[in-house]
Amino acid sequence: MQFPPLNPYRAALAAVLGLGMVSGASAATGSVQFNRDVRPILSDQCFACHGFDAKHRKAGLRLDVAESAYAPNKEGRIAVKPGDLAGSELWKRIITQDPDDVMPPPDSHKTISAEQRSVLKRWIEEGAKYQRHWAFEAPTRGPLPAVAMPNPVDRFIADRLQREGLKLSPEADRRTLARRVSLDLIGLAPTPAEVELFVNDPAPDAYERMVDRLLASPQYGERMARPWLDLARYADTHGLHLDNERQMWAYRDWVVRAFNRNLPFDRFTVEQLAGDLIPNGTQDQWVATGFNRCNVTTSEGGSIDAEFVFRYAVERAATTAQAWMGLTAGCAVCHDHKFDPISTKEFYSLYAFFHSAADPAMDGNVLLTPPVLKLPSEEESARLKALDTELRNLETVMLAQARVTPYRDPADLVPRPPVQELDTLWVDDDVPAGWKSGTSTGGSTRWVTTEEGGPVRRGRRAIRREDSGLVQDVFEGGTPLEVPAGARLYAHVRLDPAKLPSAIMLQFRTDDWKHRILWGDVDAIDWGAKGTTQRAHGGPLPAAGEWVRLEFDAAKVGLKPGDKITGLAYTQQGGRVMWDEAGVKGQMDPANDPTRSFAAWWKQQQGQDVAMLPADLRKVLKEVPGTNQTPAQVAALRDHFIARVCVDTRESFAASLAGVEAVRKRRNELEGQIPSTFVWKDLDKPRDSFVMTRGAYDKPGEKVTRGVPAVLPPLRTEGLPTRMDLANWLVGDEHPLTARVTVNRFWQQFFGVGLVASSEDFGSQGEPPSHPELLDWLSVEFREGGWDVKALVRLLVTSATYRQSSVVTPELLARDPANRLLARAPRFRLDAEQLRDNALTVAGLAVLQMGGKGVKTYQPPNIWEPVGFVGSNTRDYRQDTGASLYRRSIYTFFKRTAPPPFMTTFDAPNREGLCARRERSNTPLQALQLLNDVQYFEAARGLAQRMLREGGADLTARVRFGYQVVLGRPPAADELTVITQSLERARARYRTDEAAAQKAIGFGDSKPDPTLDAAELAAYTLTANLLLNLDETVTRN
Amino acid sequence: MDPLIEYHVQRTRRQFFGDVGLRLGGLALGGLMAGGAGRTLLGADAAAASSAGRVHPAIPGLPHFAPKAKSIIYLHMNGAPSQIDLWDHKPGLRAYFDKDLPESIRNNQRLSTMTSGQSRFPVAPSKFDFRQHGRCGTWVSDVLPHTAKIVDEIALVRSVYTNAINHDPACTFVMTGSEIPGKASIGSWLSYGLGSESNDLPAFVVFTPSFPSSGNGQALFSRMWGSGFLPTRYTGVALRGAGDPVLYLQNPPGVGVTDRRDMLEALNELNRKQHGVYGDPEIQTRISQYEMAFRMQTSVPELTDLSKESAATLEMYGADVKRTGSFTHAAILARRLVERGVRVVQLLHRGWDQHDNLPTALKNQCLDTDQAVAALVMDLKQRGLLDSTLVVWGGEFGRTVYSQGRLAPDNYGRDHHPRNFCMWMAGGGVKGGTVYGQTDDFSYNVVENPVHVNDLNATILQCMGIDHRRFTFKNTGLDQKLTGVEEAHVVKELLA
Repeated sequence: MQFPPLNPYRAALAAVLGLGMVSGASAATGSVQFNRDVRPILSDQCFACHGFDAKHRKAGLRLDVAESAYAPNKEGRIAVKPGDLAGSELWKRIITQDPDDVMPPPDSHKTISAEQRSVLKRWIEEGAKYQRHWAFEAPTRGPLPAVAMPNPVDRFIADRLQREGLKLSPEADRRTLARRVSLDLIGLAPTPAEVELFVNDPAPDAYERMVDRLLASPQYGERMARPWLDLARYADTHGLHLDNERQMWAYRDWVVRAFNRNLPFDRFTVEQLAGDLIPNGTQDQWVATGFNRCNVTTSEGGSIDAEFVFRYAVERAATTAQAWMGLTAGCAVCHDHKFDPISTKEFYSLYAFFHSAADPAMDGNVLLTPPVLKLPSEEESARLKALDTELRNLETVMLAQARVTPYRDPADLVPRPPVQELDTLWVDDDVPAGWKSGTSTGGSTRWVTTEEGGPVRRGRRAIRREDSGLVQDVFEGGTPLEVPAGARLYAHVRLDPAKLPSAIMLQFRTDDWKHRILWGDVDAIDWGAKGTTQRAHGGPLPAAGEWVRLEFDAAKVGLKPGDKITGLAYTQQGGRVMWDEAGVKGQMDPANDPTRSFAAWWKQQQGQDVAMLPADLRKVLKEVPGTNQTPAQVAALRDHFIARVCVDTRESFAASLAGVEAVRKRRNELEGQIPSTFVWKDLDKPRDSFVMTRGAYDKPGEKVTRGVPAVLPPLRTEGLPTRMDLANWLVGDEHPLTARVTVNRFWQQFFGVGLVASSEDFGSQGEPPSHPELLDWLSVEFREGGWDVKALVRLLVTSATYRQSSVVTPELLARDPANRLLARAPRFRLDAEQLRDNALTVAGLAVLQMGGKGVKTYQPPNIWEPVGFVGSNTRDYRQDTGASLYRRSIYTFFKRTAPPPFMTTFDAPNREGLCARRERSNTPLQALQLLNDVQYFEAARGLAQRMLREGGADLTARVRFGYQVVLGRPPAADELTVITQSLERARARYRTDEAAAQKAIGFGDSKPDPTLDAAELAAYTLTANLLLNLDETVTRN
Repeated sequence: MDPLIEYHVQRTRRQFFGDVGLRLGGLALGGLMAGGAGRTLLGADAAAASSAGRVHPAIPGLPHFAPKAKSIIYLHMNGAPSQIDLWDHKPGLRAYFDKDLPESIRNNQRLSTMTSGQSRFPVAPSKFDFRQHGRCGTWVSDVLPHTAKIVDEIALVRSVYTNAINHDPACTFVMTGSEIPGKASIGSWLSYGLGSESNDLPAFVVFTPSFPSSGNGQALFSRMWGSGFLPTRYTGVALRGAGDPVLYLQNPPGVGVTDRRDMLEALNELNRKQHGVYGDPEIQTRISQYEMAFRMQTSVPELTDLSKESAATLEMYGADVKRTGSFTHAAILARRLVERGVRVVQLLHRGWDQHDNLPTALKNQCLDTDQAVAALVMDLKQRGLLDSTLVVWGGEFGRTVYSQGRLAPDNYGRDHHPRNFCMWMAGGGVKGGTVYGQTDDFSYNVVENPVHVNDLNATILQCMGIDHRRFTFKNTGLDQKLTGVEEAHVVKELLA
């Protein structure tokens, strides 16, 4: 948005021409300034071909720098000849009528207006002075304007108004002010008592003390976090494809706490961008690194990893540049930036800081995509510690007993014990003892005798199944079946030649159902990767009409000696099939049996991650070669073997082992309840980064190293630049952008529009500041004052500019419709979150509990479902109950592909990418929502109950009370009349329709006060509904 | 938005509401009180609105030239319908059954990782027969018997191609001109640029109907009808298949229409008083939006009330026409919306992602949509609306000629294929009976007249009276365009 017209004639002209106005000051008076007046025209009209982007530059001419613009080309023509209009090719080319020569060329669909031409004319005549783009020059704190006002903000604003022949409006009345500052600082309207306290406070610093009280409120952090979370694109789902849930609400809570404890903005920056690199960083600092894990991620089948690794790094670099520097660096992904001095190479140098992130390309559709950090509370940590101690104690006792248990390793015996042949039947006539059976279709396994179904192979019955599709008989549960050494698994099958299946399959479960072998068409059952142990091929379909033995090495399906089978399934694709007599053949060589020989077991477990062991031994076994393990470690392993593994000894440890496992189970359950959060970590070995040609993930060009754009101050670093260097650079003294961009966003928050209206773009296509000196003064003040956010906020909201009345005359409105001069306070609609939080608060329903997992509040049916992927875990919306319905909106569960309507209807972004500035629309859908949404109507009933119970004895007093609660002021006489009449009509109507009254007060999960008369309450509810819909209620005035 | 344009638009809107809008509200009330709910609102007021001023005016300068189509109905078959089994007739493929796709055709092009590990790429000819239809003789698969009857209205493009190979980025691309979330959808562009003729209904309406259980239901994303960087009021409004058709349309239980009217009178009076004090024009806008909301409470139920549709019309659409939430129901509502001046209607039908069991599942997808699609076009034509309504049909990419997984003559699956797919347009501005673009014998590469998604979107804008090169919105320093940075071309051959 650009600065409004100051001169009505020019406004009319500009409106006709569809032009923006010159910013800062009128170019019609005083001399032309390059940055303020000329650069916007050149940037918009010329830079695409005559700017920074070398590749698309035409005729070798740059108009963004004097050296090129002043230089003669090979024909001797000069684009811009200072002071010589006729000698300036630029001027000739923009005024010519010749379509071959005119600039911008017709096919660019750009035209230079008469007004813009006159600015360029005067600029050349006045000497065509260039300036660097203002935002790349370090801000300086100039002298305060000579206006007799204590607050520096006011001096700048009033000075400018004076020059425009305007002045600040008088201070708003105290009630308006109390409501304004409370909504702005804590997002909630003040209670009547708080308003009265301020209204009746005679102290000269009454207002300042109110501000300090609000700044100290815990709700302040919740209010301030909201805009930052829009920037950080925080949400509770991954965002792409399945859009499953992710867990990183701890980051959201960190932001709230950071504002509450007034974490200086430089620390706020460093911890979010490089908290993982802080030596001995705290848990909190790690949580902060979630900022750049908030981006959308995918796990869509078929995606190419390299493409997404690339995309995430681009997104993170671009988001960081935009959030801290207001630079649209993402434009330089495919080509040099057209308008700002950022080359693709510089972009990829920035990207290189983020390119070595340790998170995977595919998020796995899981709640916790690594790297993540567990976040036990103090109490949980203590309980974990206690359980660990208990576990260790029990194990110590058990292992001490093992140490004294007599055991001879059969491998040490001379002569060695003989090898025994085994043949163990698993399924014959019945499932293994203690197991259960059933079919994949939910039915029961059908056992048939020879008479019932045909010849049984062995025993008295076999299993028979007929189906047109894929079906399984599944056996599971009970004691696991152990795979012996040299195991060959077998089963017998009889296919009906009249109805052949296309394939049959045996499937085994260990920790998962991942061991499969098929006979027949290997594509017929599409589970597991072909040619692996997850889909082995046993051969063609066996001969039909007879019993055939299927026998194969256990290794073929990835089973090894010692594995424990916990499930078994007979599977067929169509056909009529009988199954019988399944089991395992193998050998038991005690000297080589890992369940009997310690040496065999020890050898087998090398390099394995053995979960049953305590952490230290687990690490030893996994990481230390056997030959390097100490005798003490080997002895400890032997103790575990005797107590837990060895079939000859373990029985005597059954009781103590059960005790150990019970404690371990409790410990693991506790650990499972402890939340985690996404954090940032780099790969151990950084990735090489390249300029990616035209932004294609698979076209690496020139190799780049980490670095920052040359137009900005140099990066200070020792060795390979780190993200810590980058973070420190952003908040360094000489950085021209970070403080400006940050101060400007806070200004936007409190004044509706930033001093730079395009708060997301400080480049040459952005808006120049309306009050450049003020912006610079504030930026330096902020930085030199230690990046103290609360101090800055206090400075802004205690200014007379902030405190003035918002009343506007038609003349002033026409003069400054967008209120950029601030001759009045802005009025604007509350944010989505504020609207809901306020309604809940005045209703007495709000639950101000802070932090934690996102809650699922009221949402109409069919918001998630019609868009959700069938397999998504955020497809079915299950609304919470009780207190969760009334938490502050910042804690609402946010699904990116279908965000909560109470947010999106009121312009909340969908959090798929950074949002520095929300729209403030005014639509009929908003009206419908505030009128009819159960959240708002239930709140109206809550308010009605308060009016009836707390408001006094008569109707007038109760309406007054309602006004006080909602607006912080009593109603005027005419307002009282309107409301009272409306209320009386509603009351008369509900008196005659008890059923309607009951329905009206029954809307919502909370129960209406049964002591109140239904008709009365219904009438007041409708009145409260009216109060909550007043323009004044939904507006921060 | 440019502030002056914004100011201009708002001022126009405010003047309208100041002078006419509230009167419209009064009229609405009059109609209700007289017991003539519904009909009068839309008939009389819509006419009044078009002469007196519009709630959703076009931005200044638009349309750029006389539009051929005033409205658009965009039928998006989400998941990527198989071009080989529906539109791109390749009779020669039968001889290639289960033979490997020649390497010269595949040419090492990027594959989705779902099939890049396949050891071979056996050609799967379509199971379905094709026949020529209409005067134009366009080849259509037997699985689209109803659409086959309207081929003379259709301009079929067999050579559309896209940049993306997976659903999420490809859907985002076809709808917003970018694979990366954050850009404005085509519907929001049109409602921003052209506004709406209707004062009682949103300018851009979206349906997400049900789909067959055999369909592989890929996700939809609200960004497909989102406003991106455009002001949020241009986001498509979902007309929902369950619950309130428009969110929060119904008064709370126990609150009747007269209760609401009564309350609104008091609300308006208090808000007008507030305006008297503060002079903020936003207050007037708010008053008018509450009136619009009230009118929608009547106009939307009237919209969804099919009782005045003739039996012949209902029959033409098919058995599901009255089943709320079905594609067929959405199709007839689309016509009713266009009739009432709504600018953009979008139907996003899911389930078209046939990686396996394609013949059965595709048939079911067609059974769910084919008749209604044809009926919609014929219905528009019978009412003289087809000339001013652009109908677009398509998905986000195509499918591979080779089978994914098991191949049998009557059963196969197909993976994602961005290099060519089919879309069609009909109605306002379109040259019916056209077939444009040619692919190779394997429907694997475009060999003649390629049409990029951006070209197609440029052509859609052209029909709507918009020069895509000049239709821009300034965001983060760039003149953003629906058709992106690279040059895009209107496909003139598709236009009448």
